[in-house]
Amino acid sequence: MNALLIVCGLGFISLVAEIINLKKGLHIAIVLGLVVAVAAVIGDWNTSATFFNNMLIFDPFSVAFTCLIIVVGIFWFCLTSPFFIGESHQTDRTALIIFTMVGGIMMVSFHNMAILFLGIEILSISLYVLAGSHKESFFSNEAAFKYFIMGSFATGFLLMGIALVYGATGSFDTSEITMHIEGHKAGLPGFFYVGILLMLVGLAFKISVVPFHFWAPDVYAGSPTMITAFMSTVVKIAAVGAFYKIFGLCFFSVQMSVLPIIQGIIILTLLVANIIAVYQNNVKRMLAYSSIAHVGYMLLGFISGSVKFEGILFFYLASYATTSLIAFGILYAIENAKGSTSIDAVKGLYNQNPFAATCMTIALLSLAGIPPFAGFFSKYLIFGSAIEADHIMLVIVAVVTSLVGVYYYFKPIIYMFSPAQASDKLYLSAVQKAFLGMLTAAALLLGLLPEWIITILS
Amino acid sequence: MITNLFYFLSFVAVLSALMVVFSRNPVYSVLYLIITFFAIAGHYVLMQAEFLAVVHVIVYAGAIMVLFLYVIMLLNLNRESEPHKSNILKFAAAICSGLLLVVLVGSLRGTELLKHSEAGEVSSTMGGVKNLGKVLFTDFLFPFEIASVLLLAAMVGVVMLAKAEKKTNL
Amino acid sequence: MEEGSLVQYAPIALMFLVAAGFVGVTMLATHLLGPKRKTNVKLESFECGIEAKGNARIPFNIKYFLVAILFVLFDIEVIFMYPWAVNFKELGTEGFVEMLLFIAALLIGFFYIRKKGALTWED
Repeated sequence: MNALLIVCGLGFISLVAEIINLKKGLHIAIVLGLVVAVAAVIGDWNTSATFFNNMLIFDPFSVAFTCLIIVVGIFWFCLTSPFFIGESHQTDRTALIIFTMVGGIMMVSFHNMAILFLGIEILSISLYVLAGSHKESFFSNEAAFKYFIMGSFATGFLLMGIALVYGATGSFDTSEITMHIEGHKAGLPGFFYVGILLMLVGLAFKISVVPFHFWAPDVYAGSPTMITAFMSTVVKIAAVGAFYKIFGLCFFSVQMSVLPIIQGIIILTLLVANIIAVYQNNVKRMLAYSSIAHVGYMLLGFISGSVKFEGILFFYLASYATTSLIAFGILYAIENAKGSTSIDAVKGLYNQNPFAATCMTIALLSLAGIPPFAGFFSKYLIFGSAIEADHIMLVIVAVVTSLVGVYYYFKPIIYMFSPAQASDKLYLSAVQKAFLGMLTAAALLLGLLPEWIITILS
Repeated sequence: MITNLFYFLSFVAVLSALMVVFSRNPVYSVLYLIITFFAIAGHYVLMQAEFLAVVHVIVYAGAIMVLFLYVIMLLNLNRESEPHKSNILKFAAAICSGLLLVVLVGSLRGTELLKHSEAGEVSSTMGGVKNLGKVLFTDFLFPFEIASVLLLAAMVGVVMLAKAEKKTNL
Repeated sequence: MEEGSLVQYAPIALMFLVAAGFVGVTMLATHLLGPKRKTNVKLESFECGIEAKGNARIPFNIKYFLVAILFVLFDIEVIFMYPWAVNFKELGTEGFVEMLLFIAALLIGFFYIRKKGALTWED
């Protein structure tokens, strides 16, 4: 709980830094503050305490996800210093990113629907603005506007769903809702199920699964690259965490009524996202579709209902966030150097910067699910638990689509290793190099000890 | 009396909401929206939620409406620049929202209201400002405090987006 | 809601009626009382004698919007004060500190927008 307050405080600090003109050390102060927050959240481990009249709960699941959000946030901050330092928008960007993390932490640790809603709002409103933070770029404006319209629409659905669930159960408190459902299994009114359905729609928008994904490619491709990286890592962790907390824990006993819908969503997501990704000529847009597809795999694990699912989900998100942060980090450097993220821009990357090309290759291979990287084991565990739950059809679809995935992940790799026409060097700062190296090492290490990470949460 | 008032307010609310959608002139839409908001405020009063009714009028019918008008003025809505909406899209939208309406009405029809014992004691002062304040500052203290972060994020965001950049190279 | 409590709203309803009635009556009265001489020149909108060009739908400065939205945000802040003020005695020092925290957060925001120059008109 202290971690949430610390992160909140960091947001205030960055605003105060603007007021008193103390922007020099802000970036480092924020990173240090986040490290302190990680320490604070680990202190909550195994207490499972609730705070503020059952508004927040920090059970191992919340602690692990909060930890993941903040750690990924630290890496993100370290990779993106050019996005902040020396910019006239340094403090507001920092503050908004921090507020997004506050919202994200609330989304994985809520114990009350009011907090879920506020968390989603804090996260989304900051993100709408961040998506449009390249004001002179037309695509950035388009991304912000599209995201805002679609996002507020989705929030409306979510809110309506919460209201109907409240009407049926008489409470906002998640454990009271669960208890009420258990106690009145037969006598739940019809509008309760409509409420669940509307919440499903609202949250499906937020985790961007087909057919609620239409905003995602444009927003991901239009936003500044590092904001896209943030969306596909920190925001994705928070949204998937909230989805699991609602449908896996709070509505556990009526899960059966939404499972067929989620199965349909999974099949659509896997097919549509993977197939459209093949046709993309822009690496950023390709990664956007890949992030949609990955949520499909996560949901596949979700419907399998394995006892180890919390651990598997954590492992999947950790490995996905690590690798996609590498990919976006390098893409960001490429964009800064060449002004484009198209597939031609990555051409000859190996000649220009072998280190970046190696990291990028490892990241893409891991995203494709090639052993021995982390991405392979996360997919393997998901497929394993789905087979145990007899979802053979879904697993076949998932395997076939991830084979399609191999094709589009290999396309940039082939381009990177092909000879370049112009031999301009790609420059990475020492900090960027160090953190990209650490992330790549993490992608390898995570692949070595999946079991250890999964047992953390079970 | 109460039932009649309820039906009257509902009629006004639904009718003006429809007019919001069907008006050709966006400024008329906003004005109809104000009527809708007043009718909904009337509903709040019928449900003993006086504070909510007043807030609804002050914030929505007052402040938010001004924003809406400003947005319309920002948008440059000339007749020529109105985008073409395809009929298939309209048809699909009508089917989708119609289905949602059917589901909502169907699920709400004939459902019994929660028993008072389950919904907690309902008294005539429950929606009053005093009661609301007590709940807000005890049970819902954390959402209240964190709402300041939400407002702050919106504030930072609007300044970042709407504040003109200092033109250095002109 | 019981029948009886509705009576307390009678003055408010009366006020609404008077307000709406006044608008209606004045509009009707000016329509009936005033002389009517309609010519094309008379029907034009009067702009200090300058002929009106184009229409009224031109995009206008975003600064108005900036001020309006900041107003809404602080308006919502003030809304939260009503329930607090009514319960001021019961909530005691604790409630006072809670409100202070809330206001402090928004005060940071206020100084921030001052510093960013969002409230200065010319630049």
